[in-house]
Amino acid sequence: MKKLLLLNITILLFTTAFFAQETTSNKKRQKGHYNINKFKQLNQELPTPNNQHNASGAPGYEYTQQRVDYNMNIILDDENQRIYGEETIAYHNNSKDELDYLWIQLDQNFRAANSKSNDVNGSGSRSRYTPSNFTKSFMGKPFDGGFNIEQVTDINGNPITHFINQTMMRVNLPTPLASGEKFIFNIKWWYNINNYMESRGRSGFEEFSDGNMAYVIAQFFPRLAVYNNVEGWQNMQFWGSSEFALEFGNYQVAITTPDDFILNGTGNIQNPREVFSKKQYKRFVEAKNSYENPIFIVTPEEAAETKKGSSQKTKTWKFYAENVRDFAFATSRKYMWDAMAVKLNDKTVMAYSLYPKEGMPLWEEHSTRVVANALKVYSQYTFDYPYPHATSINAEMGMEYPMICFNYGRPNKNGYYSERLKKGMIGVITHEIGHNYFPMIVNSDERQWTWMDEGIDSFVQIYALEKYDSKLFPTSKYPKNIVGYMKGDQSKLAPIMSQGDNLFNFGSNAYAKPAAGLFMLRETIMGQELFDHAFKTYAKRWKFKHPTPADFFRTMEDASAMDLDWFWRGWFYTTGNNDIGIKSVKKYYITDKPTERAKNIVKRYGMTIDQLDPALYLVLEGSEEFTVDLKNNNPEDFKILNDYLTHNFSKEEKIELKAPKYFYELKFEKPGDLVMPIIVEFEYEDGTKERKQYPAQIWRKNDQVVTKLFPSNKSITKITIDPDEQTADVNLSNNSWPKNKETKFEKFKKSQIKG
Amino acid sequence: MTFKKHLLLLFLIPSLAFTIHKYYVSLCEIEYIEDQQSIQIILGLFIDDIEFSLNKTHDTNLYLATPKEFLNIDEYYETYLNKHFKIKINNNNKNYIFIGKEYNDDIVRFYLEITGIQTLTSIEILNNCLFEDFEQQQNIIKIKIKNNYKTLYFDKNNNKGLLKF
Repeated sequence: MKKLLLLNITILLFTTAFFAQETTSNKKRQKGHYNINKFKQLNQELPTPNNQHNASGAPGYEYTQQRVDYNMNIILDDENQRIYGEETIAYHNNSKDELDYLWIQLDQNFRAANSKSNDVNGSGSRSRYTPSNFTKSFMGKPFDGGFNIEQVTDINGNPITHFINQTMMRVNLPTPLASGEKFIFNIKWWYNINNYMESRGRSGFEEFSDGNMAYVIAQFFPRLAVYNNVEGWQNMQFWGSSEFALEFGNYQVAITTPDDFILNGTGNIQNPREVFSKKQYKRFVEAKNSYENPIFIVTPEEAAETKKGSSQKTKTWKFYAENVRDFAFATSRKYMWDAMAVKLNDKTVMAYSLYPKEGMPLWEEHSTRVVANALKVYSQYTFDYPYPHATSINAEMGMEYPMICFNYGRPNKNGYYSERLKKGMIGVITHEIGHNYFPMIVNSDERQWTWMDEGIDSFVQIYALEKYDSKLFPTSKYPKNIVGYMKGDQSKLAPIMSQGDNLFNFGSNAYAKPAAGLFMLRETIMGQELFDHAFKTYAKRWKFKHPTPADFFRTMEDASAMDLDWFWRGWFYTTGNNDIGIKSVKKYYITDKPTERAKNIVKRYGMTIDQLDPALYLVLEGSEEFTVDLKNNNPEDFKILNDYLTHNFSKEEKIELKAPKYFYELKFEKPGDLVMPIIVEFEYEDGTKERKQYPAQIWRKNDQVVTKLFPSNKSITKITIDPDEQTADVNLSNNSWPKNKETKFEKFKKSQIKG
Repeated sequence: MTFKKHLLLLFLIPSLAFTIHKYYVSLCEIEYIEDQQSIQIILGLFIDDIEFSLNKTHDTNLYLATPKEFLNIDEYYETYLNKHFKIKINNNNKNYIFIGKEYNDDIVRFYLEITGIQTLTSIEILNNCLFEDFEQQQNIIKIKIKNNYKTLYFDKNNNKGLLKF
């Protein structure tokens, strides 16, 4: 009986604060509410799992995916900057559904004279117009871009009816396409290639001062839209921002260019002996054994020899690509080409770069090496690169396609380039090579969810860049790089889980914030081992398939046994930010004399303290009961503790036991919306430091304030929350005790005077 | 060439890696520290953009934030700021002290201070940095005065703001 009573009293001693609160505000009738806990599961946000996208985040046993094979003949007209194509499409209906029509994406129509793409954007007056811009904008001579669809026919050449709705074309099937059946048809088309240096674009031509052209050609042919288990037909127009959703298939492509052009594209060149000179072909083969350094396949001297108008002949480049979602190519008579072999476990893939002399010397020094490095690091984090090559093309942009991407970076006329340009160029190549994984292979829907490819790619990019040059790309800037954005005006923020066309700040929202979030998950919340296994699981599960955000969120939990719903909810579904501070620190000493606080509680139950067994009590430093001699007390000196230890432990065990001398009651506050782990650094009087990380779940029951008793043998001189800025805390002014009043400005000013 | 590249960056927004800054913004943080009678200003600009403007003005290449940068580069910065960033305190023009600058990644931050402000009844800010060269430039000003927080958004049509207390 007495034991039970003692237990009750002990509980009471712990819960006085709770009682005190309850008695004060009883007047107003309180309202009930839904579950507003930040650790509530995401059942309302995530779609209900099914047999296609299952509850563990993997493809279910009824998951289906369409397949589209292309056979294309392309002619590039360098004189008129036009491109002509005839394509035969084999559409495989692997779904369980019967289809009445197919939807085809005509992304070039974004650039059609009557395109509505400009109408959806607001526009104001500008201070400067180039003549071509002015003519296009105001003189009724817009660029005559967009597809000219000449015919859509079946395999017998009979026309098939079709209907064009802006950037989408419906092909009406003569008879419904049953599940498991395929439909073969042809499309003939051409369009005027845009000058991408003048108007925005992911593809087009660039004219050099010597009159030569370089073409980077992409989304250049009518491509099947995705029909999947989640959305049915992809039916969002291409407005210019949110990119593509495409099906996998095999591509057989023949491209005819002027005879002196150099070209590379998605897939393997089938006729290298025909398109290269003898010497070039020899080096093309030799490069496959050059693992250490890049070697030239097309040399700078060869590139310099070719001159505009020197040849009227043409040649045809033949490509074959397996299991890709798209096809792109780049070609110019100005290109030189270097190559390096990359070993990935038991296979070798090629890293290529094609660039005009304007890219020298920067591109010769870095491009192919950066490609090789990116292939290695991305393979390590996901799966070995499944394609035969990865090619970086020098163009004034940054854009990705399977096996080939277009990247910027040109020194000035004297060959000088700044560290910033070099950094930008290495960054963009790594990023665009990384897109081979997300979304070219782990094939999320870019039109819907920009972050799933840009954000995840930007995350792995952090490690690839660090590996390439850790001095130039330190990881220490993550995740604090996102703080400025996250503490911005809430009316200008959108959650990551927003469709890409509706974002205010595309770069921060879809690239930097998800990347910083995943970095935090890996480095601070989950730990590298747990994270890496889960992340790899996601990549492997959805390789060559169409994942959704829920598949990512679920897999990361499924493969790690860690509930992360709170993190997805806060970081991905809201615009909230993190601000954790230390509100107060109280120091207690141990005594065996009952304190007033203890006596009062016992009194409430009509008892006196001597009715209870002797115990130990904590005295607050600075309180009335506090005396200086308490500072010299060691807990072991108290008879009751010593007796207890002697009775219950052997001599050897007793030596091992060490009682803390000080007790710090730490009160943490959280003005921020997000829940996050609390990382605390204690600095002791002897100068040593110690860290303690409390899991985010510490905020389960109180979202504003939590108190923690921290026992210590040494006196604490300084406490810092999140000293390495690992949690994107937007306000550091409440992160230290004693409070650090020095502003960033004053710190800088001091450093200037010293310096 | 440089201009073309910038023009391009203006338009070619969505597809670029985040290593390129895809937006034209600057951030200026202004704080009044009453007990020091001081107004502390930190103004951050993208190095590429300020370099473009300064190169154009001086018809040279300044190689900012590189070993080739001029030793007296701060003079260029100060001249530029005095022209494009102006402060009026209690309705009077005030000069600020150029404490220094720091480079951090793609950004240069200027530390400016106005001292001897015993009372503060109004502050007027003009910030037209980079407006003449960048169509989409937006200059954001965050002000903290006696626990009041205020954010102003400037663009080329609206480059001034007045706050009264």
